[in-house]
Amino acid sequence: MSDPIRGQTAICGLGITEMGKVYGHDASWFAGESIKLAIQDAGLEKDQIDGLLVNPGITGMMGTGIGIPLQGYLGLRNLRLLNHMNSYGATASAMIQYAAMAVNHGMANYVACIFADAPLQQGGSAGAAYGGAGRRGPSGMASLMPAFGFYGANTSYALAARRYMERYGITNNDLGRVSVTQRRYAVDNPHATMRQPLTLEDYHNSRWIVDPFHLLDCCLVSNGAVCTIVTTADRARDLQSDPAYIWGMGQGHPGNFPHAEVETGTTSGAVIAGETAYKMAGVGPEDVDICEFYDCYTYTVLRTIEDYGLAKPGEAIGLYPEDPADPEADLPLINTGGGQLSSYYMWGMTPVSEAVIQARGSGGDRQVEKNDIVLCSGNGGTLDTHGTLILSPNAN
Amino acid sequence: MAYEKPLPNPDEDTKPFFDGLKEHKLLLQYFPSADHFQYPYSDRCYKDWSTDWEWRESAGNGEVYTWVRMHQLYHPSWKEEIPYTLAVVQLDEGPRMQTNLVNVDPEQVRVGMRVKVFFDDVTDEYTLPKFEPV
Repeated sequence: MSDPIRGQTAICGLGITEMGKVYGHDASWFAGESIKLAIQDAGLEKDQIDGLLVNPGITGMMGTGIGIPLQGYLGLRNLRLLNHMNSYGATASAMIQYAAMAVNHGMANYVACIFADAPLQQGGSAGAAYGGAGRRGPSGMASLMPAFGFYGANTSYALAARRYMERYGITNNDLGRVSVTQRRYAVDNPHATMRQPLTLEDYHNSRWIVDPFHLLDCCLVSNGAVCTIVTTADRARDLQSDPAYIWGMGQGHPGNFPHAEVETGTTSGAVIAGETAYKMAGVGPEDVDICEFYDCYTYTVLRTIEDYGLAKPGEAIGLYPEDPADPEADLPLINTGGGQLSSYYMWGMTPVSEAVIQARGSGGDRQVEKNDIVLCSGNGGTLDTHGTLILSPNAN
Repeated sequence: MAYEKPLPNPDEDTKPFFDGLKEHKLLLQYFPSADHFQYPYSDRCYKDWSTDWEWRESAGNGEVYTWVRMHQLYHPSWKEEIPYTLAVVQLDEGPRMQTNLVNVDPEQVRVGMRVKVFFDDVTDEYTLPKFEPV
């Protein structure tokens, strides 16, 4: 039995700005471009926007990110809903969930959900943007981290991946199969930053970041913004673009408890979030046509596949061809836009944006034919927070 | 040669922990009401929210929960050290600690490997709780 809210709300507008090494603008500027594109896509007027939810990326932690002042910058004078949200990489799907519940109950009609970030500086590296080097040192227990040489999210995800790899006999070549698969999809995605094809050899030749991760196991860092507009199904039907109906929503946040009582690294919030969303949508793993999964690292994809029940523990890699660079290889319908690994890193808005594109059938050369059930994940911390959306081109 | 890597920066709450390291003692918070050892430091037990606790010395034994080899240079002082081994060690008392593995051939490191604490007196003032194979 599905929940009565299934299919009652929809994403009616999508705005994706230029992505990647786009310099000379701050996060607010990108946010402005994204909402402009989103209302054009939906066929809405600016003054119809009566809800604004914002999620800054890493620039939010650096003090230059978007927040509540974005309302003033955009001149949104009719807001009935406004919030600055953060559950890390789960935020994008969470924003859409709260927006869907709000429009379903009449608290707002058209809610713009915006992620914007601009950490890349001309001449600076991605590592400088995200590694934390050069920032003021922490105090107390946290000061042990740099003292031991722990830096950045790369390390914590590599630690999670190692535990999984040793338990199930997963190799670097296996991680490479995920990376090469996604690059093949990115080749056909005009929004993607990395569009030159990859081979497994390229993967193995890419430098180590933190073993078991090569460079090509890690996501990009991007400047840009994505805006999605959420409304009721009834309103969405009359707008100019095809709606992506929201069938299922869920969250799961296991947090991080470094204690023997709690297994970390080989499980994620997708277990709980997925169960909740499947139930709302009245579907199960066997009904899923397309997956758009948060892929900060190759391992995150394998983790997520298993936690949504799409493969048994340790068997997610079985969905991938031995050599995904082979033009004859049958690619899994997972991260069909190239994902964060190859296309653009807009935290949870990367999977959301491709899920909307696929659910609306607007994927061009990379459009998947059967798109009835699109499963989309957001993930934050080190597998600590999770959000799920299930989208469909069908209202019911 | 002077030690140039980042050093601990104790605050008032964690000073006893860092002082303990200097005496080659690994201190953990013990919360009696939940019979729970907790690390890293917090002023509250996350199990029953109790704020009554005491420092107790860990036996310093555990196993490798997971590990990695760091190749990326984030801070210039690690230049000579790369690649170095980072690990999460599961202490027998329950908590897991992020740490360095030392005195071990990286090819031999495995999840589940038994290890014990190795107090590395990096400067006259600071000691780091690293781990080595038993």
